[in-house]
Amino acid sequence: MLFNSLSFVLFLIIVLTLYYSKLFKWTGKKRMLLLSSYIFYGMWNPPLVILLWISTIVDWTAGKRLAVEDNQKKRKMWLLLSMFVNLGFLAFFKYGDFLLENFVVVMNSIGIDFQAKPMDIILPMGISFYTFQTMSYTIDMYKRKIEPARTFLDFALYVTFFPQLVAGPIVRAKDLITQFYEEKKATTNQFIWGLFLLTIGLFQKVVMADTLLAGTSDAVFGSSKLLHGVDAWVGTIAFSGQIFFDFAGYSTCAIGIALMLGIILPDNFRYPYASLGFSDLWKRWHISLSSWLKDYLYIPLGGNRHGITRMYVALMLTMLIGGLWHGAAWTFMVWGGLHGTYLILERLQRKYLPFKITKWNGIFLAFITFSCVNITWVFFRAREFETAWNMIKSMFYMQTDGVKILDTFTIIKVTTVIAIMFLCHWVMRNTSMKDVSLKTSPYVLGVVWAIMTFLIIIAQGSGEQFIYFQF
Amino acid sequence: MKLKQTLTVAIIITLIATISWEAYWRSQGLYPTLNDEKALWAMARANVEKADKDDVVILGSSRAYFDIQVEQWEKSTGKTPIQLSSTGSSPLPTFHDIVNNTNFNGTAIVGVTPGLLFSTTYPKAFPWERPQSKVDFYHDRTYAQRLNYLLSIPLQKNLVLMSADEEEWNDDIDLKALLKRVNWGARDTMPPPPPFYNFGDVSIPRNMSMMPRTVTDTAFAKSIIDVWHFFGKGAPPPDKDATTEFFMKDVEKFKAKGGNLILVRPPSSGGVRMGEKMGLPRERFWDSLVKVANVKSYHFEDYDQFKDLVCPEESHLSLNDANFFTAELIKTMKADGALAN
Repeated sequence: MLFNSLSFVLFLIIVLTLYYSKLFKWTGKKRMLLLSSYIFYGMWNPPLVILLWISTIVDWTAGKRLAVEDNQKKRKMWLLLSMFVNLGFLAFFKYGDFLLENFVVVMNSIGIDFQAKPMDIILPMGISFYTFQTMSYTIDMYKRKIEPARTFLDFALYVTFFPQLVAGPIVRAKDLITQFYEEKKATTNQFIWGLFLLTIGLFQKVVMADTLLAGTSDAVFGSSKLLHGVDAWVGTIAFSGQIFFDFAGYSTCAIGIALMLGIILPDNFRYPYASLGFSDLWKRWHISLSSWLKDYLYIPLGGNRHGITRMYVALMLTMLIGGLWHGAAWTFMVWGGLHGTYLILERLQRKYLPFKITKWNGIFLAFITFSCVNITWVFFRAREFETAWNMIKSMFYMQTDGVKILDTFTIIKVTTVIAIMFLCHWVMRNTSMKDVSLKTSPYVLGVVWAIMTFLIIIAQGSGEQFIYFQF
Repeated sequence: MKLKQTLTVAIIITLIATISWEAYWRSQGLYPTLNDEKALWAMARANVEKADKDDVVILGSSRAYFDIQVEQWEKSTGKTPIQLSSTGSSPLPTFHDIVNNTNFNGTAIVGVTPGLLFSTTYPKAFPWERPQSKVDFYHDRTYAQRLNYLLSIPLQKNLVLMSADEEEWNDDIDLKALLKRVNWGARDTMPPPPPFYNFGDVSIPRNMSMMPRTVTDTAFAKSIIDVWHFFGKGAPPPDKDATTEFFMKDVEKFKAKGGNLILVRPPSSGGVRMGEKMGLPRERFWDSLVKVANVKSYHFEDYDQFKDLVCPEESHLSLNDANFFTAELIKTMKADGALAN
């Protein structure tokens, strides 16, 4: 079910009515939320709910055993079981065809004539999100960082909680399961603020991403022609804006919906396009994934504890795997590799060419960071290397006879939207929406809210899927 | 935080703005109609699964869609046909789907618009990709998508502002369409395509009828004619051999299942007809297909009651003429034994 759909509006109204009715006690409400979450997921493809159940049962069992088991060998076995099941799901459903394709290429390259039919496996929606979330529970249990969930119901709801089930934020057990222990009820202000966040999220998705930017990026990246530099840049920045509004929009909706139920979810984006460098970017972009990768991959790989070379290797591996997490294609690996390279170069710059960031050079630095990020998006968005390379050539004017496919208004529209987005991120980088709204007149805020709602209504949207659902 | 005031202001302004928006577009002559979208097509396609020997499925492009009136058919035969024709589409992908993925062995009427049926079998080509995307949507649609569509029907039927058609007409009034209309000049020398306005209203169960404006407003009709001429000039050469070969494989399978296939060539007129005569002459295309298919077939030029029908925008019949065409076609088919009495 998509947040930007009529069925979700109906679903949410029913869930909220039942949640705030006196029909159920807290346990009953949690059961209702769990059932609703399965319906939310099953409305897409009912049989794939079974994967959620398997993941839930395996990690619940592993967590329970890890809580009481002292034998280190057995503890490791339970951890490995959890990882085997979750990563096995990912390997089969998400990377099955990719692995097969590459196996065929390797076989053929060594002279063995081997052909394989693609398995055409359906990718279960949000599998990368919920497997990472459940794994974090088992790993934290293994490290004895957290207490086990009190009941199976609490754990199952943690794995399946519908607002963040299919596209995050990837919430840690300590931040969410404990909230299910006591009855939760949003205050009036929390409920209204949650509704406001839901509106902002839908505005970002329906109006900004789908209406204003998606068409341009689709036209540019879908073109088989060699494009003029302006078109390539505009298409790239359009995608840059589209993916931010799409994904941040989803996270904002998720946070808002959870808040309407009295549940607090962590921020997933903090104005990332005003980042001052790449370390800063990863503290602001998809925070729940980058912190997951840091805690469960980068640090176990050695982090910065074993010298500079090992740190760079750990950094690069983390970013490459982070790239692959987004999709089963080499282009995503290149995207991760570029970010890994940026992070290494930034550390070298800090060591050998340090300089102080002031309010004068800050925005310039943010712009440079944003521009470098845009180059990585080319590999993220392009389906094939040929498209990506053509785009890069066009963007750096190595293609002088490129085709102009965008009209003047589209170019002005996209550059204006992206410029406003960049400036908003810059202005907001050290504050939050909540702080700004506290300083704003309630009437002005109401007008802003109405404008966003009205634009959502007239944009209508066609129930476009969120980009991150495919990851 | 005084969020209650904020919410109250937001609700009041949103209501005022939305009602004003709706009233404004109604004052401009717009009225609520269903959008012709793949979810509606999928609903009709689902009916094929339970169709029997007595049922009729209509396949084709926009001519079969506009010219064979579902409601008139129902009046004349007592049975509602399943209308699966699609605008700008070759009928081949849909026929292929029905022959290969269903047990249907009733009557299939394939509308032949030569420029589309003989166009291509290339999956990425426009006339193929459009119907194939509908077929794929039908097979892949989720329960959420089905529910979304059911919920959207009463809204579409009652609100003008629900006008975001998949066709992306130039007179749609959703935000994307409004922005698309802003023209600050092109950057290359290629002439832009002429504006393409919606000229048909669809209703459940997929009955498409020409808007009265297309008949009464000649300037409007001319704008549609310009589009046909634009597409006609830019169309790649037909691929008769590949399309015929593809179609015939399915025809044989359908016949083997006991299905009754009927070919119908609906009318066209004016410049469009002239263009068809030059680029897709009857002898080379229609006659050749009829010969290899060896099924009942009806070309409008062969019947006195049809040959003088005039299409207001050169390619489709007005509602009145379409009702006449449908009723007469049924009579002719029954007399001919193509349809059971």
